[in-house]
Amino acid sequence: MIFSSLTFLFAYLPLTLAIYFLAPVRWRNLVLLLVSLFFYGWGEPVYITIMFVSILIDYTHGLLVEKYRDNDKKARYFVAQSVVFNLLLLGFFKYIDFFAENLFLLTGIDLPMSATLLGITIPLRNIPLPIGISFFTFQTMSYTIDVYRKDAPVQRDIINFGAFVTMFPQLIAGPIVKYKTVAEELNERTHSSENFALGARRFCVGLAKKVLLANSIGALWETQLAAQQAGTMSVLGGWMGLLAFGFQIYFDFSGYSDMAIGLGWIFGFHFNENFDYPYMARSVSEFWRRWHMSLTSWFREYLYIPLGGNRGGTFKALRNILIVWFCTGFWHGASWNFILWGLYFALWLILEKYVLRGVLEKSPAVVKHIYTLVVVFVGWGLFAIEDLSICGGYFASCFGGASIWSAVDGYLLRSYAVTFVVLIVASTTLGKRCWQRLPERAERILSPILMALALVICTAYLVDGSYNPFLYFRF
Amino acid sequence: MTKAYSRFLTVFFCLFLGGLLTVHIFLPDREKSETENRTLAKLPEFSWETLKDGTYTEAIETYFADQFPLRDGWTGLKARAEQLLGKREFNDIYLAGDTLISKVETPDGTLLENNLSYIDRLKDKADANVTVGFIPSAAEVWKDKLPTGAQSWDQTGLLGMSNVDFHTALKEHADEQIFYRTDHHWTSLGAFYGANAMLEQLGREPLKEEDFTIEIASTDFNGTLYSQSGIHWLTPDTMEYWVTEDGMTVTSWSTGKPETVPMYDRSYLQAKDKYSSFLGGNQPLCVIKNEKLPAEAGKLLLVRDSYSDALAPFLAQRFAEVHLLDLRYYRAPASAYAMQNGIEEIAVVYSVQNFISDRNLVLLG
Repeated sequence: MIFSSLTFLFAYLPLTLAIYFLAPVRWRNLVLLLVSLFFYGWGEPVYITIMFVSILIDYTHGLLVEKYRDNDKKARYFVAQSVVFNLLLLGFFKYIDFFAENLFLLTGIDLPMSATLLGITIPLRNIPLPIGISFFTFQTMSYTIDVYRKDAPVQRDIINFGAFVTMFPQLIAGPIVKYKTVAEELNERTHSSENFALGARRFCVGLAKKVLLANSIGALWETQLAAQQAGTMSVLGGWMGLLAFGFQIYFDFSGYSDMAIGLGWIFGFHFNENFDYPYMARSVSEFWRRWHMSLTSWFREYLYIPLGGNRGGTFKALRNILIVWFCTGFWHGASWNFILWGLYFALWLILEKYVLRGVLEKSPAVVKHIYTLVVVFVGWGLFAIEDLSICGGYFASCFGGASIWSAVDGYLLRSYAVTFVVLIVASTTLGKRCWQRLPERAERILSPILMALALVICTAYLVDGSYNPFLYFRF
Repeated sequence: MTKAYSRFLTVFFCLFLGGLLTVHIFLPDREKSETENRTLAKLPEFSWETLKDGTYTEAIETYFADQFPLRDGWTGLKARAEQLLGKREFNDIYLAGDTLISKVETPDGTLLENNLSYIDRLKDKADANVTVGFIPSAAEVWKDKLPTGAQSWDQTGLLGMSNVDFHTALKEHADEQIFYRTDHHWTSLGAFYGANAMLEQLGREPLKEEDFTIEIASTDFNGTLYSQSGIHWLTPDTMEYWVTEDGMTVTSWSTGKPETVPMYDRSYLQAKDKYSSFLGGNQPLCVIKNEKLPAEAGKLLLVRDSYSDALAPFLAQRFAEVHLLDLRYYRAPASAYAMQNGIEEIAVVYSVQNFISDRNLVLLG
């Protein structure tokens, strides 16, 4: 189930809220676990089993790590075992086809379609990807590591732990919630109407970002991509397409995070922020401190720092950057374009660190903004087009391999002009700053009006069955 | 945020979500949507099989959206919001002033090639004379009305393959109301010009406008484009009947067996789908007999889409019998039908939009 659907908004959510708040406080984690399993099972009935297996294994490993607290070797062994299990889960469901294809290309060895082990036939190829697997495996991995590092106490209640693993607000599209962030709130949290009201408001903001902004501009990206395939895309059209996709993914993804964070507040949880106006960044490294922050901080904490970070000389630092960004790219999808996309950013980060730093520091702010946005939006082309030959063709058109402008672009530009203005303004902190300057009274009047507007117009768009994709099915 | 105020926001949020859910539950399910002119999804039956493969939950989502309270109001609201944003295109329909024009997508090349080859096969197989007629859609004839730079597939190539020059006939009268403003069909006026282009090609005497007494059938016609676009604020279309019913016997196979029906089924005028009042709408086979003409006036087999519902009454002014065959519902070769009924004149008449997307033309020959 996805948040931006009528069934979620007008059936699942109201019923879930009713059951949750009618239940006594001590049962609420159980309710959360059950409704989350239902949420997951709605789209993936069979894969509920992954949830159960995941809960059981990570729960026991947490206990084992705690049990061998004094025997570091054993404790480390169990941490490793749990990490390996999660990576295997991810590897099997998400990456096996990619590995098989490349193995075949490199060596000619063809992985069989299925294998029979102890009389059970297991499919090995073309397995549908369980939705959100990259998010929840990363969350559960953080648990045993946090317990081992004493960043969080072990969770002895399997219901509480199950609620953490399956928690529907962030289950399928993040943010990636580290165990230590919610460890305390899992055991004890406060529910208040303040939390609820703020959460509901935040949810409406996210919903509007996804349904009204992201979906609307996403259609333009699809149009340009189709034009490129038909050989009619112009240079201007190509850049318009990249711009459209960059806005689509930002408002889609941050909209989802807003909805998740808002729902979290409603249920008494406080997740970390995931986006901080990334298109306001003045350098590529700053962009990554503002974009999908829960993923970058996950990789920093559980991969980059353990690898040694930037200590141990230039060679090691470079190696670590490359490893982390290879993984970051690969995490976004089992395809070469995502790996290239990750390494593309590694390259810019290294350049910024060792070469461009001085130049950038002396440049005026405008130059820094433009430089960052060009790097990022060109990156989106690499991200959005999985087929590398199509991707190459697209960029060839963008960089002059096509006519400069076409009448169709004029039409599209007129059709999307207002939308673009809204998107640009919404990408800056302008709205937020204005909102904060409003007198208390105005805020109190405007809040419900804007919420109602967002809900009503989003409903209209959803009922009409407009273009409403789920972008993270590859994640 | 004070306690009271946050309670107010909380209640407000819950009431909106829960309120619509309650209305949804208590509102009786509708069989079909008049506005959208289609049957709506019903609550699916549960089975473990469909749950496992995901079709059950999908069906529930469709049901939930189809039966959503105030459905038409929501789609209308969306169109208004899009208009506010400066959009000129609404679910593939262009809004050009007070007229809706359907966008024609670039066709699937193989399908188009196949459909053309089926016509050739019919020409080889049939003993009759085969005439091809492609009716341009409003997007071609009214190209000038489209927003600047708006895309629609260039139909001229295909129209060049048409024996009947509908294109020129309509283009000459482009400033008249030859298509409905809210529906994709041509009006009776458009069909009249089309009929003359066809009669000219078939070597028959053309019709004269002054020979018809026009009856205003409805001034309240909101067509398919009205439904698809969500634009509900245009003045409805006026629908006219030109050919009078006396002397015309219409036999319809709507139910599978022959039945005599009126040429205009006026019961449709009370419903949304008013265009279906011509000959009673979609059906596999329909025969119009003009009792006033001698048998020597001959028979015409029209292999056709819904555009011919408005066209055929005009053709029946010059042919003693007009047989209308719709391959979407008549599941046997058209060539065989012509042979069995001693028909020597076959016309394959399709609107461009239908011809490039229809998957039933294999039944031509």
